[in-house]
Amino acid sequence: MADSGRAHAKEHFPELLLPVSLSPQTEILHYIDNAKRAHQLPGHLTQEHDAVISLSAYNIKLAWRDGEDTILRVPIHDIAAVSYVRDDASHLVVLKTAQDPGISPSQSLCAESSRGLTAGSLSESGVGPVEACCLVILAAESKVAAEELCSLLGQVFQIVYTESTIDFLDRAIFDGASTPTHHLSLHSDDSSTKVDMKESYEAEASPFSFPECAHAGGVSPLSFCMQTAPHAKTVSESELSATAAELLQDYMLTLRTKLSSQEIQQFAALLHEYRDGASVHEFCINLRQLYGDSRKFLLLGLRPFIPEKDSQHFENFLETIGVKDGRGIITDSFGRYRRAMSSTSTSTSNGNRAAGSSDDQSAPSEGDEWDRMISDISNDIEALGCSMDQDSA
Amino acid sequence: MRMTMEEMKNEAETTSMVSMPLYAVMYPVFNELERVNLSAAQTLRAAFIKAEKENPGLTQDIIMKILEKKSVEVNFTESLLRMAADDVEEYMIERPEPEFQDLNEKARALKQILSKIPDEINDRVRFLQTIKDIASAIKELLDTVNSVFKKYQYQNRRALEHQKKEFVKYSKSFSDTLKTYFKDGKAINVFISANRLIHQTNLILQTFKTVA
Repeated sequence: MADSGRAHAKEHFPELLLPVSLSPQTEILHYIDNAKRAHQLPGHLTQEHDAVISLSAYNIKLAWRDGEDTILRVPIHDIAAVSYVRDDASHLVVLKTAQDPGISPSQSLCAESSRGLTAGSLSESGVGPVEACCLVILAAESKVAAEELCSLLGQVFQIVYTESTIDFLDRAIFDGASTPTHHLSLHSDDSSTKVDMKESYEAEASPFSFPECAHAGGVSPLSFCMQTAPHAKTVSESELSATAAELLQDYMLTLRTKLSSQEIQQFAALLHEYRDGASVHEFCINLRQLYGDSRKFLLLGLRPFIPEKDSQHFENFLETIGVKDGRGIITDSFGRYRRAMSSTSTSTSNGNRAAGSSDDQSAPSEGDEWDRMISDISNDIEALGCSMDQDSA
Repeated sequence: MRMTMEEMKNEAETTSMVSMPLYAVMYPVFNELERVNLSAAQTLRAAFIKAEKENPGLTQDIIMKILEKKSVEVNFTESLLRMAADDVEEYMIERPEPEFQDLNEKARALKQILSKIPDEINDRVRFLQTIKDIASAIKELLDTVNSVFKKYQYQNRRALEHQKKEFVKYSKSFSDTLKTYFKDGKAINVFISANRLIHQTNLILQTFKTVA
């Protein structure tokens, strides 16, 4: 996915830390002039200020041309705006970015006081909302170079934004599909639950393979069969099994598309450790590390498989990493989706609690059922990972 | 009237994607005709329904021939998508309970957003916003389906779950189609996939209407 571009910035200004309300050209030039007067920016640029800029789908990297030490690395998602500003003979490309957490204490103090002053005067002066941010100012050698850089950045944004949007769509489908469709109770008295689900379960339990592996680089088709999963003894148990088998299948399919073979092995190992007694806290932390920021939504899919005793911790963990309530760059924009996520979380957790809300006799057997399925699936995942290793060797 | 699983499968197969032009294009035409000649319109409607059932795809063939005869150059798939947002009375759930009305509403919302794709697809920023709206609408529809499942116990739950699974499958297919579109730029495939998703949305309503 990542397209990388390489452009040379002839000159480079160190970053500024300023409150910026709007960014018309004149305002930016005003800040630059002030910064020069305050000796925060060099008045005259020389060859020693030459820098190289590298673009990827993840970040923009600035490095000194001589020595190539990194000056600055700005994640793409931290960039709010990019502007081309002409200042006499200078062709400036200005990046407005989120406030750098690694700023020096004096700059921090400056930001705090500026922000404080601005906030304090809002109601009196009627000034619009202001925000503290960083400006990264690059001086290009020509208008063409500056416009080329802006164009490259625009393309990177488009790629990143497009992928994030598709990820958002995938998450929405996955979450809607994953939510249990009925109470997972083994002791329902409702006669309508006593439907013969066996046919459905057998239909679902057919082996499924990863056809995309069949001809890719000589890797043989991988498959694992869900038939070793729950042996239905009662009608309501097989109803549980059918739903659980479906959920597990869906989750496995998703993992297969989102994780590399090595990562699947790591996932299997973590699941194994959790099954062997590692704490849910450790499990969550390690999974979060494995999935990273861009795939943390995959944790949502584990929700139905977390035992009742650990579910509260798991839900709290989801909330702290901003998955449960749909926080994040993409989901912040969609109020409607956030509300849907909240209601789903409630209904799902209610569903899960309903599953464990029966009497003591039922809870262990349902827990055993889940335990056995998790055990089966972790064995299958391990086998999947090993198979992929053998085939690629 | 309760239908068996077998009967429902047959019904779904009969009301396959290829029959979409019948309800998306011809039903509005019959509705208009009813104002002019009620009897004739109803006779035509019944005839088309029967003919389509026996020969899936017949309605589309007839429409294409009419367009050809009149030398009307339209992109049929795109036009079908634009027309597919309208409510199909036969599929609307009549039960007054809020959950079912919510289901009608969520289905309508999703279809309307999908039908806007031809207008948005050529502007990347607007199209991405449309995709986000589609994502939210899919999620809300699925949440509503899940709510109805939880609240009401059905003897033919399997049919409903099967239909939900189909809907999810076509939603995923739509997502895959979009990924391919952003590489190859072929909008027609997005239109086709969107039409399929609209059809699955209608089938969800039809299934709930039949079972409920």
